[in-house]
Amino acid sequence: MPDYGRLTQQRLPHTQPAVDPLYPAPPWALPGARVLKLIYETDAEPLLTWLPPKLSRSSPPYAVVVVAHYHKSPIGPFSLATQGIGCRAGFFIRALSVQAITDSPVAMAALRETWGYPCKLGEVMLEQGDDGVSASIRSSDRPLASLSLQEPEPIDGESVRFDPVLNIRSVPSLDEGKAHELLHMVQIDPEITIKESVRGRGDAELLASDGKSGWNALPVRGIVSAVYALIDTELPLARFVVPY
Amino acid sequence: MKFGIFHELSVGKPWHPLSEHEVYHNALEQVEVADELGFDQSWAVEHHFLEEYSHCSAPEVFLAAAAARTKRIHLCHGVMMVLPPFNHPARCAERAAALDIVSGGRLEFGTGRSATWTELGGFRCDPDVSKEMWDEAVHAIPKMWTQETFSWDGKYFSMPERPILPKPVQKPHPPIWVAVSSPETAIQAAERGIGCLGVSIGTPEEYQKRVQDYRRIVRSAEPVGDFVNEQVNGVTFMYVDETDEEAKTWGTKLAYTFSYLAAHLVGISSVYPTAAYKTPGLLFAIRRSTEEKAPGGGGAVRDGMAIGSPDTVIKQLKLWEEIGVDRMVFIINTAEVIPQERVLKSLRLFAEQVLPAFDVDAQASREAPKARDLSEAPMPV
Repeated sequence: MPDYGRLTQQRLPHTQPAVDPLYPAPPWALPGARVLKLIYETDAEPLLTWLPPKLSRSSPPYAVVVVAHYHKSPIGPFSLATQGIGCRAGFFIRALSVQAITDSPVAMAALRETWGYPCKLGEVMLEQGDDGVSASIRSSDRPLASLSLQEPEPIDGESVRFDPVLNIRSVPSLDEGKAHELLHMVQIDPEITIKESVRGRGDAELLASDGKSGWNALPVRGIVSAVYALIDTELPLARFVVPY
Repeated sequence: MKFGIFHELSVGKPWHPLSEHEVYHNALEQVEVADELGFDQSWAVEHHFLEEYSHCSAPEVFLAAAAARTKRIHLCHGVMMVLPPFNHPARCAERAAALDIVSGGRLEFGTGRSATWTELGGFRCDPDVSKEMWDEAVHAIPKMWTQETFSWDGKYFSMPERPILPKPVQKPHPPIWVAVSSPETAIQAAERGIGCLGVSIGTPEEYQKRVQDYRRIVRSAEPVGDFVNEQVNGVTFMYVDETDEEAKTWGTKLAYTFSYLAAHLVGISSVYPTAAYKTPGLLFAIRRSTEEKAPGGGGAVRDGMAIGSPDTVIKQLKLWEEIGVDRMVFIINTAEVIPQERVLKSLRLFAEQVLPAFDVDAQASREAPKARDLSEAPMPV
């Protein structure tokens, strides 16, 4: 009999990204983050084309845009903007990420590889002024979205809700003619401490698509709410990983 | 303790052209049978835009049809949305009075404000002030019933002097209730001298504090109407069969499906930050009640659910009686997941074997006697 190797999953080579990533392993503490969250009603049909078969839409259908600036993280400051679908996993309220832009290459790699965010590199701006908050999101070559919260008024942090995020992870196929392999859905369920929060009149303009998809694929049919908050949060280990 | 049935008129997908017709007419048959069997109340919700979960947007029509088919059972709005963006309060008073007349004084008037963005957003109604709107309407409507003419200059509606017609048959007016899904609303019900219509489908243990608070505070009520309607209702699922096992098979399917449909609504607190909805309300409570999944894909049978053999259901309902609930109201089907013949069989088993274990007349002296004075009112033929 030949001698067989003895490598176990616990001792994968140090070159494997899961064992030795190019960025710190989770959880990432993200204290003092500034977050603008805007919820809007959208159309059912395009929304359903973006939902995996195990998830279902709410009534009415809605989407969530979150623009966050993390001034302190294990990889330094970075910003992240996401667009998610407010959906249901069985009985539970979730936000499925469909778009994500970050301004940090390291964050982009980590968010894609570890947490499954559909991240691209771009520009994310989040500014607070006396009369409100504004945010803009750009890809490398064009504007994607602009958002604002006007007429801010303080709101009790207990009234502000951040739903767990679901991301779809897949691995690219290297076999000719074979589809990419869907792995699973990862649930990101961070601890969040809200230190300050305001709500206000929200506005959102979602701009041209970038080909297959775009932020305006889920059009704005009416703003539900806009919140801006100062929070302590994290990018944790996944609480649930479920088959696609 | 008295018992009633509760209809959301849920219509599950896939829909066909007669889906709603089937649900409505099954429900009307259930009310008719419940009336014959000695159930005391038939409640119908008012909901709008809640696809699958509730297609009961015109309960006054459903209840009027039920009135025509029945003789005794109380016809109850559970609840009517009394916020002006939904229904002008004068229209609420008019419709309720007309239903009281056609039913021969069998109306009970539940009030509410909605807890979903689906509905409030649909009517462009500001969630921040929905409680204030409800409060204004619930103070105005009894005056519309009892005063010869009525005028109002409030914060959320106003109208010049007009006679609000017709007047209800029950004098001075029908019993008034409010849907209660939070401890705060139970207290507000007591302060206003109106009935506490618990809709959170919790356990008796969870509900006990609310009942205690209500009973304590209602003693010093300043009633919005002409009398204090001191009553506490609870709501739960009901399916009775010969054995616990058989009952659980169908009853948990009912509870699970109802809760699953509810989970797809958009509760205010899940999307709109406001101090006006401090608790997650009904939807959260429903979800929690069925999170533990039983084998077979059904929800768990929690304390207080009337799911089981007659003996089991008696034991469960005694738990509600012990904490001081006057009446229990049952969700008996949803989206037709239980075949109609089984629903009717369950009602009959309940009437034959569960009802005798309770003294249904014990509450009679406390049950809104002022609102049942029909000595001069002609009864319907």
